[in-house]
Amino acid sequence: MLSIKNLKASIEDGTQILKGINLEVKPGEVHAIMGPNGSGKSTLSKVIAGHPAYTVNDGVVELDGKNLLDMEICERANSGLFISTQYPTEIPGVNNVEFLKMALNSKRNFLGLPEMGDADFKKLCEEKMQLLEMDDRYRDRGVNEGYSGGEKKRNEILQMAILDPKVSFLDETDSGLDIDALRIVANGINHIMSPEKAVILVTHYQRLLDYIKPTYVHVLRHGKIILSGGPELALKLEEQGYDWIEEK
Amino acid sequence: MSYNNTALAQAAQARINALGIPKRNNELWSFFPVNKIPSVVSAESAANGTADSAAAEGCTVECADFGIAAETDIAALLPIAKSAPIMKKDFAAGETEMGLIKSRADFGHSVFKIQKNAKVSLEILDNKVEHEIAAERFDINVEEGAELEIFFANPANELPLQFRHFAIKQAAKSTVHFSNILQDAGIGRISIDVDLNGEGANFDYRSLSVLKGTASKHQRLTIRHNAPNTVSTQFARNLLDEKSYVSYDGSVIVGNGCSQVNSSQLVNSILLGDESSVSVKPVLKIYHDDVECTHGNTCGELDADQMFYLTSRGIPAETAKKMLMKSFAKELFLPLNDGPAKKRLLQVLASL
Repeated sequence: MLSIKNLKASIEDGTQILKGINLEVKPGEVHAIMGPNGSGKSTLSKVIAGHPAYTVNDGVVELDGKNLLDMEICERANSGLFISTQYPTEIPGVNNVEFLKMALNSKRNFLGLPEMGDADFKKLCEEKMQLLEMDDRYRDRGVNEGYSGGEKKRNEILQMAILDPKVSFLDETDSGLDIDALRIVANGINHIMSPEKAVILVTHYQRLLDYIKPTYVHVLRHGKIILSGGPELALKLEEQGYDWIEEK
Repeated sequence: MSYNNTALAQAAQARINALGIPKRNNELWSFFPVNKIPSVVSAESAANGTADSAAAEGCTVECADFGIAAETDIAALLPIAKSAPIMKKDFAAGETEMGLIKSRADFGHSVFKIQKNAKVSLEILDNKVEHEIAAERFDINVEEGAELEIFFANPANELPLQFRHFAIKQAAKSTVHFSNILQDAGIGRISIDVDLNGEGANFDYRSLSVLKGTASKHQRLTIRHNAPNTVSTQFARNLLDEKSYVSYDGSVIVGNGCSQVNSSQLVNSILLGDESSVSVKPVLKIYHDDVECTHGNTCGELDADQMFYLTSRGIPAETAKKMLMKSFAKELFLPLNDGPAKKRLLQVLASL
């Protein structure tokens, strides 16, 4: 489904952040990526999505056999990739619901489907908002405008639910969430997840993985995946940190 | 009521002759391509041949009514010098009225009195232009407690040169909301003189320029706070593509003894084109201590993170760019009270 091979990327001053990432994600899998601050976790999602601040120096990223790196940012999204950043951007003046509808219909245009009308979209939106226990305040405001950290994360999962991506890359979705919000967001992700889809979670803590069971856990350090394992690896990391891991 | 006045026109032309063609080193014209002006003002006086109509209608308008002797702005003098028909209207005290203003010639002159406690909404439409210049002058007297909203947002004629001059006098507790959207391809100059003469008077100016090509728009405001507790707001935003250009020359003068004056000026510009540019010149002349006056100016590009966010949700880059431009523009007009101006301005924004 998603295949990342030898991905290397740098920032404008030439500093290489990703130094050869390899990751294979199959349908139905949940991958958790953990690692110390500054190891390249957030960069990975942005590079895959096509953020202009990064230059890809080498490697291939394929989604269902198509190289995402050859595509425009919007084409990557419309091909089935969704990324949620650690700090979702505020866009004052762009209404949240209008933005969601525009995004959904852009995807439908890309896929050759007719645009969704107001009534159908309203129904879809209400259903997903209910799932995430979101109230009407989200409708009238600008995208993430004045939202608390937790509200922003919930709004990200709402977008994920509406856009229905094949692969979702969620960067520290659990940060800024209180206990109840964490449960709601995690339940939302589990609800959206299906055997045809995959999720990559970037997290620092086991607590998110208590709700969303990972198939694999990876440790990213110094721009490379240095260790992979099952769910038990996350428990060990929570207990012992990263210092015991030897880099090859 | 519409009439011509030869004496007035001749006095205005004489004043233009005395002033001479503006030069770029004249502060009032420093941003304007003054080389475009001579062909207009040096033509023979249009006052010729209007004596009959003036005599026939028994015109009583005097030069002093428009301060011609002291006028320094050619844009303000041109409509009078060219014998623009005067459209004069009084809006009755306490009444609520809406209106459209459209001049039927290259030059127009409107004289309005908004009487006590009247509420008036006026939309200025493009005048009917047959030549390569248009100049309109508006003299507006807003009496105590009256509220005026005045706005224009229609795509203007593709004129090489367009002037609009407003002389606004406000009495106590009067409010004027002045809003516009500029989006045509020509060279335009809007000059606005505001006198806040009565305590509690409030003037609010909001302007959006969405320009491309070689369009060039010049705004010159002079706001005189002549009474205590008066408020003025200037808020301009510019979206400039290709080689377009905007200048903003905003002066605020606070008179001696005018306590508790509040004045703000903010100009935000986004340069979408490599060769687009903006000049902003705030001038504050404050002759009293107990006042609050601010000014600010920002200039940049569309926010790269916002662009990334929208496109990472599948929205094509061109559509995302338009969404951000509209959101930037919309913030200007959202604070306006619900009414004809807000409705019209947001409608025009939606179609940009």
